[in-house]
Amino acid sequence: MKSLKYIWRNITRNRLRTVLTVLSVGFSLSLMTVLYGYMEAQESWGTEAAKYNRIVVMNIQGFFGQLPISSVEKIRNVDGVRAAVPYAWYGGTYQDKPMPFAQFATDASQAFQVWDEYKLPPEQLKAWQENRQGCVVDRRLAERWGWKIGDRIPLKGTSYQFDLDLQLSGIFDSPKNTDSLWFHWIYLDEGLQQMNAPVTGNAGTVFAKIESSDAIPGVIKVVDERFASSDNPTRSQTEAAFAQMFTDMLGNIQAYIRNIGLAVVFSLSLVAANAMAMSMRERVTEIAVLKAIGFSKGRVLGLILGESCLIAMLGGLFGVGVGCAFLQVLHIGIPQFFPFPIMEMIGPWTGAGLLVAAGIGLVSGLVPAVRAAQLSVIDGLRRVV
Amino acid sequence: MGDAVRSGEKVVSVQNVFKEFRRDQNSIPVLRGINVELDACEYLALMGPSGSGKTTLLNLIAGLDRPTSGNVIVCGQNLGQTSEGDLARWRSRHIGFIFQLYNLIPVLTAYENVELPLTLTPLNRRERDEHVKAALQVVGLADRMDHYPRQLSGGQEQRVSIARAIATDPTLIVADEPTGDLDAKSASEILDLMQRLNTEFEKTIVMVTHDPAAAARARRTLHLEKGVLVNDVSSAR
Ligand SMILES: Nc1ncnc2c1ncn2[C@@H]1O[C@H](COP(=O)(O)OP(=O)(O)OP(=O)(O)O)[C@@H](O)[C@H]1O
Ligand SMILES: [Mg+2]
Repeated sequence: MKSLKYIWRNITRNRLRTVLTVLSVGFSLSLMTVLYGYMEAQESWGTEAAKYNRIVVMNIQGFFGQLPISSVEKIRNVDGVRAAVPYAWYGGTYQDKPMPFAQFATDASQAFQVWDEYKLPPEQLKAWQENRQGCVVDRRLAERWGWKIGDRIPLKGTSYQFDLDLQLSGIFDSPKNTDSLWFHWIYLDEGLQQMNAPVTGNAGTVFAKIESSDAIPGVIKVVDERFASSDNPTRSQTEAAFAQMFTDMLGNIQAYIRNIGLAVVFSLSLVAANAMAMSMRERVTEIAVLKAIGFSKGRVLGLILGESCLIAMLGGLFGVGVGCAFLQVLHIGIPQFFPFPIMEMIGPWTGAGLLVAAGIGLVSGLVPAVRAAQLSVIDGLRRVV
Repeated sequence: MGDAVRSGEKVVSVQNVFKEFRRDQNSIPVLRGINVELDACEYLALMGPSGSGKTTLLNLIAGLDRPTSGNVIVCGQNLGQTSEGDLARWRSRHIGFIFQLYNLIPVLTAYENVELPLTLTPLNRRERDEHVKAALQVVGLADRMDHYPRQLSGGQEQRVSIARAIATDPTLIVADEPTGDLDAKSASEILDLMQRLNTEFEKTIVMVTHDPAAAARARRTLHLEKGVLVNDVSSAR
């Protein structure tokens, strides 16, 4: 591996230029990694959601429309519905931290029937149901904050003018980190009523568990028909479609970011190409000498492409590393949006990142390499004389 | 040494060679009917005013360029009829290069510079090591083999480049003003070394020089003027 040593020496001969090129390639690839990580997260949410035969009912106007609490009972009565609960976003602060984790007001009587893949010991469920201020949390959330059963968890309202004084009744296990806390919808609503809040009796959205996936289209049709002529017409959809909606809200932005990402990758490969061309210009005589002593065109081409690819791939490793680290921070910080463990993805992403980087390396090295291979030895040698 | 040489043929045979360079519409005639023959172990100094075509002729003999017309036959190979790829391979086997500005690779050590042409041969690492050390021994720089070119004096750099030129044991060594950039003392050391290559190692040498003292070390001197050889002097050494 004699030429690898030579390539490496050439890479380190102008350290500043190499570092800048590595950084520019690294930057573009860390951007790509985070972007694709985000899209991966969205996708995994959708495919995960399709497994559990749940539907989401909301006001036809979307998140800002209301759904009266009475609709929960009406949905429960539809054929094929096994269980249904209100599910309202509270969005309070904990210890003055905004958005510390997700908090939902729901119904303890059926919540663990709607999400029957979540496991909560029966005595903890009973304790929650019997405690008006009780709440249950995802195990990972309890571990993160060091909560034990019986601990007090005070939340300060932000969108609601009502603070919650919760007590931990149970800790549930779920297949993926939900980063969620559930408390009684009724506790929130009574508090709002006492304060004469403008909006009360609002279920927010309703999540329902359906008997089988075959029954879902029928149930959706019946539910939406039943509410069609009410004050609050509904729009029902599968949980997967609901997840997709979040993605779609960002849809255009996503295409936008993707294109910008590609543009950044492309422009940075031009930057790398320029750096490569510059260092080749400085080495014209050297290349002529190599060719004079018998290096073939192919060998010269290989040396230079090897150099540009190695630089770009160093950038790729750096970029994927930074990108994954950033995703890991997101995974820890806002796990409800980035529920999957980054570590599982590092392998394939590093592979893909290196592949893209090698592509950048080839693109950036191609012109200088072909030029060097075509260089006339006598012209190259004449430059110094 | 090549088979052609052993059978008594000329190492270099330049026959009625013309060379023109084209620039746009104009063609500049540089060499106009050159005839030269070199036996094995000859040491030729090529002199002449600037622009007379010395480097051009040297490049033709070294297989770096092809004549416009005429034949250049070196070590049994007709270079005008050889493809570029084959020429590269042929040079790596038969020619050693010494340049005025040494042209060592700055990122490689003296050892690695000498090893470079050997990486094109089928020699394994151990055999390469022997060749490199022997070549550096000849030029008296075995103790500097881990130094980079910038850590060496001009004369030392040129000695490393001579080691590089002889590492593959080529038949013919071409040198374009090898002492042109050196002080008198270093130049004299280089010329001593080249003389040794000729006498002790039986290398055929073609050296371009402006320096009459350098030319005097060669066995034979040719003068080029405006693309024609004017007189042929064999110095009695
Ligand atoms: N590649 C080329 N293209 C065009 N003209 C060239 C080329 N190479 C050489 N020439 C011309 O050929 C002539 C001879 O050049 P050459 O380099 O052989 O001279 P020289 O005798 O080596 O001179 P010097 O002593 O200055 O090195 C010059 O006029 C030069 O301009
Ligand atoms: Mg010249």
